[in-house]
Amino acid sequence: MKTSKYFLFFGLLLVASMAGMQGCKKDSDLQTPGEVDLQISNVVGAKPLALDGTTYSTPAGEIFSVSTFEYYISNIKLTKSDGTVYVAPNTYFLVDQAKPATQHLAITGVPAGTYTGVSFIIGVDAATTQADPLALTGVLNPANSMYWTWNTGHIFLKLEGTVTSAGRPIVCHIGGYTDPYNAIVTATPSLAGKILSVNGTHSSTISLSADVLKLFDGVSHITLSTFSNGMMPGAEAVQVAKNYGAGMFTVTQTQDN
Amino acid sequence: MLPFRPQRPRIVWLAGLGLASGTLWVLLSGARAEAIRGTRQPANFPAMRYDLASNEPDQAAFELGRTLFYDPRLSSDGSISCGSCHQQSRAFTDGRAVPVGVAGRRSRRNAPALQNLRWRHGFMADGGVLGLEAQALAPLTSPQEMNEPLANALARLNADPEYRRRFAAIYGPGKIDTPQFLRALAQFTAALTSASSRYDKFVRHEPGGTLTTPELQGMALLRARCSSCHATDLFTDESFRNNGLDAAFPVDSGRAHITLRPTDAGRFKVPSLRNVARTAPYMHDGRFATLPQVLAHYARGVRPSRTLDPLLRQPDGRLGIALSAKQQSEIIAFLATLTDQQFLTDPRLAAPARETRATPPRVIGAKAVAFQHR
Repeated sequence: MKTSKYFLFFGLLLVASMAGMQGCKKDSDLQTPGEVDLQISNVVGAKPLALDGTTYSTPAGEIFSVSTFEYYISNIKLTKSDGTVYVAPNTYFLVDQAKPATQHLAITGVPAGTYTGVSFIIGVDAATTQADPLALTGVLNPANSMYWTWNTGHIFLKLEGTVTSAGRPIVCHIGGYTDPYNAIVTATPSLAGKILSVNGTHSSTISLSADVLKLFDGVSHITLSTFSNGMMPGAEAVQVAKNYGAGMFTVTQTQDN
Repeated sequence: MLPFRPQRPRIVWLAGLGLASGTLWVLLSGARAEAIRGTRQPANFPAMRYDLASNEPDQAAFELGRTLFYDPRLSSDGSISCGSCHQQSRAFTDGRAVPVGVAGRRSRRNAPALQNLRWRHGFMADGGVLGLEAQALAPLTSPQEMNEPLANALARLNADPEYRRRFAAIYGPGKIDTPQFLRALAQFTAALTSASSRYDKFVRHEPGGTLTTPELQGMALLRARCSSCHATDLFTDESFRNNGLDAAFPVDSGRAHITLRPTDAGRFKVPSLRNVARTAPYMHDGRFATLPQVLAHYARGVRPSRTLDPLLRQPDGRLGIALSAKQQSEIIAFLATLTDQQFLTDPRLAAPARETRATPPRVIGAKAVAFQHR
């Protein structure tokens, strides 16, 4: 009888302490860094992008299909409610429409807090893209065919397809990091007043759509049938880059629980 | 007394042994430094630009790079190796105006000599490639040359047990990757130092360094008239200049192809003059077949354009470099002293025996040679 009372007492104590520990753990998780995921959906206007020969129309009525759509996203920054900016270290992603897994960008170790903004380079920063190829690993590896071997540096964005209305291919390789034809652009898609809570208890997601049509419209209109099929840095590459920097990405949803 | 007697000779003997082993060590390490070709800084060269520590010379890696350099399996149809267009006896040029790549495709520019690459900065005639390791990627992937995407070349290397074994022995186990491939290849290309011409021996006061009177006169002329661009004992200042070949540059704008600046149109990297007697034809497009044609161009063929190098405008308004026929032949006589027989015939730089056998005969202009190694 006496022993069973002791057992009961210690049993309760154990349960209480476990509950207390769990509470402590939760409290600390709220302070520990969390994960922010960028979930990207490539679209053409209102339609999802497909590489299967599906044709799309530009606002000007040009008809085209896409066979390749790849681009780098790097140097991701998150802005806190207090205005301070968290620079996510070593964030280099290669989004490839042909590989769905690459459309999910996981940023780990983001300090706990509330965030109101996101920005990133569409492409690769100048210092990294000029680096010795011996230092370029992972998505930056020149073997990924997103690299110019004749003019050292990455292809920031690659769109290939067919302008069926003009009966000609379209080849759009954007890159270059030297003024006046620097094609490194930063996208700052608005979270539209939404506040993203980040901490160790959950991962937060920012869903983005990336609209192919915005490559050729926005800051300057580009006619697909007369596009020069650029595969080098230059004025046209900068035009396309300014277009997609300004308008390609839109936040469609945020989720933080 | 007796026990002390041998002591002195013993000390002397020990000291002698120490000295001898020290000498032996110096000799051996000297021999070892020489074993990996071209790693020494020639006394008459400017400082090496290449950071040796970034890809430390290693004998096995050099030999692996040599095998890669001469392996036609790195091209899309197995017909072309680096060595096809970079032949040792021609200072690693190919004797053609423009190289012939896979399926008889022609490049736009003359194959440059590969020599003293550790002193280069900015590769290609337009300087578009920033480093020696990156340089190999350009001809490998160019559709007009070897036409092979890097990923395919790596897959092919990884499918070869012998390459797997050799790479693993140097870089450790695992797949052959981009850095390993580029490091190994650069071990060979970086070792292509040419610093043993008769001229080198002359300036370094070494045996065999005798120049004839016309050669000495040619040297004096070259130093006076040409060394603003063909500077130092590398005979280039590594700058990009328009030497007056054309009045307009619709086909190849040179440096402007990279910088997109109109002021760079028609400017090309100043090539070294080393082994120049062996690297015909000349200019970025191989338009001149002989050195007399080149000298004649500078004497009376320079054409004006907005980007023509100011050094080719004489104070009296005439273009080019004033050179009599006699002076031109003296310069050509001097240029022959820059031929480095040791470099051109060094067996360490030749195709390894096995690969020579494996190289299919080159059939120019005909259909691509069948790939033999599948």
